[in-house]
Amino acid sequence: MPTPPARRRLTLSRRRQLAGVVFALPAILLVLGLIAIPIGQAVYYSMTQWDGVTATWIGPSTWNQALHNPTLWTALRNNALLLLSVPFALGLPLGIAVLLHQRVAGWRIFRSIYFLPTAISWVVLGLVAQRFFAYQGTLNSLIHFLGFSRSNTNMLGYESTALSALGITFIFTMIGTNTMLFLTGLATLDTSLEEAARIDGAGRWRIFRSITLPHLRRFIQLAFVMTVIALFSALFSLIFVMTGGGPGYATTTMEFLIYQTGFNQGDFGTAALYGLILFVLTAIVGVVQLRLIGSEE
Amino acid sequence: MILFVAMLLVAIVMLYPFWVMIYNSLMTEAQFLAGKGFSLGSWKALTSVIPVGQEVLSSTIICTASILIILLIGLPAGFAFAKLRFRLSTVVFLAIVSAMMVPLQAILMPEFVNVTKLGLTSGYVGAVLVYSALGTPFSVFLFTTYFRGVPDELIEAGIVDGLGYFGVLWRLVLPIAVPAIATVTVLQFIQIWDDLLVGLLFIQNTSERPITVGLAVLSAGRTTSIPQLMAGSFISAVPAMLVYLGFQRYLVKGLTMGIDR
Repeated sequence: MPTPPARRRLTLSRRRQLAGVVFALPAILLVLGLIAIPIGQAVYYSMTQWDGVTATWIGPSTWNQALHNPTLWTALRNNALLLLSVPFALGLPLGIAVLLHQRVAGWRIFRSIYFLPTAISWVVLGLVAQRFFAYQGTLNSLIHFLGFSRSNTNMLGYESTALSALGITFIFTMIGTNTMLFLTGLATLDTSLEEAARIDGAGRWRIFRSITLPHLRRFIQLAFVMTVIALFSALFSLIFVMTGGGPGYATTTMEFLIYQTGFNQGDFGTAALYGLILFVLTAIVGVVQLRLIGSEE
Repeated sequence: MILFVAMLLVAIVMLYPFWVMIYNSLMTEAQFLAGKGFSLGSWKALTSVIPVGQEVLSSTIICTASILIILLIGLPAGFAFAKLRFRLSTVVFLAIVSAMMVPLQAILMPEFVNVTKLGLTSGYVGAVLVYSALGTPFSVFLFTTYFRGVPDELIEAGIVDGLGYFGVLWRLVLPIAVPAIATVTVLQFIQIWDDLLVGLLFIQNTSERPITVGLAVLSAGRTTSIPQLMAGSFISAVPAMLVYLGFQRYLVKGLTMGIDR
């Protein structure tokens, strides 16, 4: 077949490009209109006094003012403290995944059971957690059953313990997803390697440390990033139903502070500003994740 | 044996939410307060307290519409970014993918005001638009990655046969994209069905709110009957659970996207 003349090839490539633009355009417009432009708007509105209807320009001094608001620092501190739950949100699923990987009789059924709560809304899991921590709830029954104390507590009711209760609930809600990730990772592990190590006389712990764990490194990184992002941006449902951010500001995290500032206090400008702070925080974590995905290619 | 006991213990912990929902819903308010006795009373009177049918219908409408838009927009875009490269397409692709990292809360205030000013918070349109925008970056990413594995020859053959690019997309690309479509659908279904924030703020009419919003708002009012709240919770959990059990493997695929291949 003779090669087509140069002009024809050009129009073909032109046409392909045109089709590409047409196909991609709806996605570009949607993301531009509902994600990119609002980020720009947030920057503008963060420097105004804004009630949602009229915005009065103030200038960068709003940032100075907002950064001196102690509530902002309480929220940031709560987020930082909640990070302490991350090792548990990774460690427990790792253990569970290794357990499942032993392929004991019935492991498939167990796997389905373990993943089941992952499908449930965090609204519902928050309601269930409320039952767990309530005065007549499961936690108190357990404490009484074990004979530790006769008194009743409700961890959600006190400033000193509410955040821990939220952290515990968060760990529970992350177990399914992270177990799933680790189990997928374990499935790609070459079993002959473990076999060889066992024949060479390596113990279980040694095999886990030297073979399994290094193999899972990328999966652990991914789970870490996903867990931290969830911690910054997915706790809203839990907080809304469990504590409403209280008692006081004990369980108000950054994302909940944005909601409260905007919709309870009507201070849209400051809420937009807090949104940008949250944006920067998640962007830092996001860059890490993009590098994780990117380094594969 | 020890392993089995350990697995059983974990199973008990993971089944705990279901036990709480079922156990507590099988009491009347009085029985719940007394801490003994069982009945179906709370279930029978459920619809008078929580408009479950209406709320499940709202959830279904919002989910279906959003997922359809996410697929209709994400699939052609993924095809374009993978196979029909245009000038700056890589830059645009990266920009869209990084939008995955933007949590709604970060842009909540401008988004809320924009959608409200357009008058879209009455009815489902506003919420559907927001969900679509939030779901599109992931769907574009997944489809692009998926279509990179499709041989160029297939598309060229279609063009030579005179199908045109729409024809190629519809007749050749769509049929082989079924696993990717399933992954996006399952992940987005669970995400949107379970979400609270968007439904709470972007749907003005009480009669149109999804079930998660209904439950959350009801629980915030202190006089709520807990047995009925638990019954409602159980109903809201069933569809997501069924989807989950039926399509587990697509979910795993979507979660480990980009790391496991």
